[in-house]
Amino acid sequence: MGKHVIGAVADFPAGTRKTLILEGRPIGVFNVNDTYYALKNSCPHQGAPLCVGTVTGMTLPSAPGEYAYGREGEILICPWHGWEFDLTTGKSVFDPHKCLVKTYDVTVEALESPGVDTYPVTVESGSIVVHV
Amino acid sequence: MEQQTETKAEQKSARTGIIDCDVHPYPRNTEEIRSYMKQPWRDRYNGGGRGFFGNPVQGDRVDARPPQGGPSGSDPELLRKQLIDEYGHAYAILMPRAFCNLHPDPDFGTAIAAAFNDWLADTWLDKYNADGVFKGSITVNTQDPQAAAREIERWAGHPHFVQVMTDSGARAPFGQRQYYPIYEACEKFGLPFAIHPGTDGMGINVQPSPGFPTHYIEWHTCLSLGFQSHLVSFITEGVFERFPGFKIALVEGGVSWLAPLMWRLDAEYKALRSEVPWLKRKPSEYLRDHVRITSQPLERPDNDNHLLQIFDMMDAEHILMFSSDYPHWDFDSPTRAFPKLPESLRRRIFYENALEFYKL
Repeated sequence: MGKHVIGAVADFPAGTRKTLILEGRPIGVFNVNDTYYALKNSCPHQGAPLCVGTVTGMTLPSAPGEYAYGREGEILICPWHGWEFDLTTGKSVFDPHKCLVKTYDVTVEALESPGVDTYPVTVESGSIVVHV
Repeated sequence: MEQQTETKAEQKSARTGIIDCDVHPYPRNTEEIRSYMKQPWRDRYNGGGRGFFGNPVQGDRVDARPPQGGPSGSDPELLRKQLIDEYGHAYAILMPRAFCNLHPDPDFGTAIAAAFNDWLADTWLDKYNADGVFKGSITVNTQDPQAAAREIERWAGHPHFVQVMTDSGARAPFGQRQYYPIYEACEKFGLPFAIHPGTDGMGINVQPSPGFPTHYIEWHTCLSLGFQSHLVSFITEGVFERFPGFKIALVEGGVSWLAPLMWRLDAEYKALRSEVPWLKRKPSEYLRDHVRITSQPLERPDNDNHLLQIFDMMDAEHILMFSSDYPHWDFDSPTRAFPKLPESLRRRIFYENALEFYKL
């Protein structure tokens, strides 16, 4: 379990993502409407680089013949086979209990600078920390 | 030089052992194909795929799109990196997507097929093929069988064209006699005839379901219907008796339907043999000598043993050949698409069946 500072909030606006390797594990970090989520960058199906897939919305469960579209920006489509994953939970849409990808905690923290007085920081000036 | 290339390829195949029987190379742009066409076709051709039933999510692997632009499968370096080098392929059997046989004008269809063949020969089978890893398919327009036979003859003897190919979309089942000039040429030059999904229900071709389905998920699931009809037609029309050296590859048409379809056909034959007296064997007994089927998109029941049982029932050891369908959206990873197989069976499916079928 390690904490990894992966960048500043100011450099990671809503709707963007980063893919990186932390402790040897491929991980994708997403800013979804200013909340950060981290997922293993490997699809549980055939190992595709899941986190380079399209971020979009989804057709919500509906009655036959009706379309309800929602959750824009919260759904990740696997770049190979098109399976849908909920970015906020790592769970697949088609079978959330059996098909899911590992998630990691992400926090926004003030950077500690040893030897220097620290001051309260706003979220905007914080750093994004992924907990592996 | 040719000798060196061959030796290198032999070493490579001995070392690795995957032959991928369905890989799709694309031109970088329409102009690449157009440049191989004579007028009036050059001005008329504007690319274009099958028209309907595009995948509503993504038709290709998103990570296979070249960063510098162009369609997936158009950059030989990226294809080599993501497929050939990633999995250690010995050979990739290339299947271009010309969609030539949906056109009402047979001459236009034939011109498109010829242009794709010239393009493939110059690029993927030559410029991009120093190590000989790429083997090609001669695209033919089945709507004009005589012209298709001439196109086969034009390429016969080429060191890297290893089969003839067409779409499963057709106006009539492929066992019927109007197609025989194609099969005669295939047999004469020792080239298998591969069928790949593509233009079912498009242009002048019939849709092999009751009418047109609404959704891509229906159309794509039911692509195997056309393959089943073609296979039953090939066998019952006596194509394999008329052309004893003729072989077919069913590519991307599904796998698990084969055994029960053959059970049904064999059962029918017991009562209806008199209708097809030219058959010398039970229908299913033609498969091992004449038919190969490629794996992708491999059905995966929840219980792996069920799939292994299906492999046993269908004689996968002798007729199933691995394919990935790179760079399309339903790509099957060589390392992840199959359950664990006994090593001898894995070797047959991933290497030996195709090695023998294509005489590589």
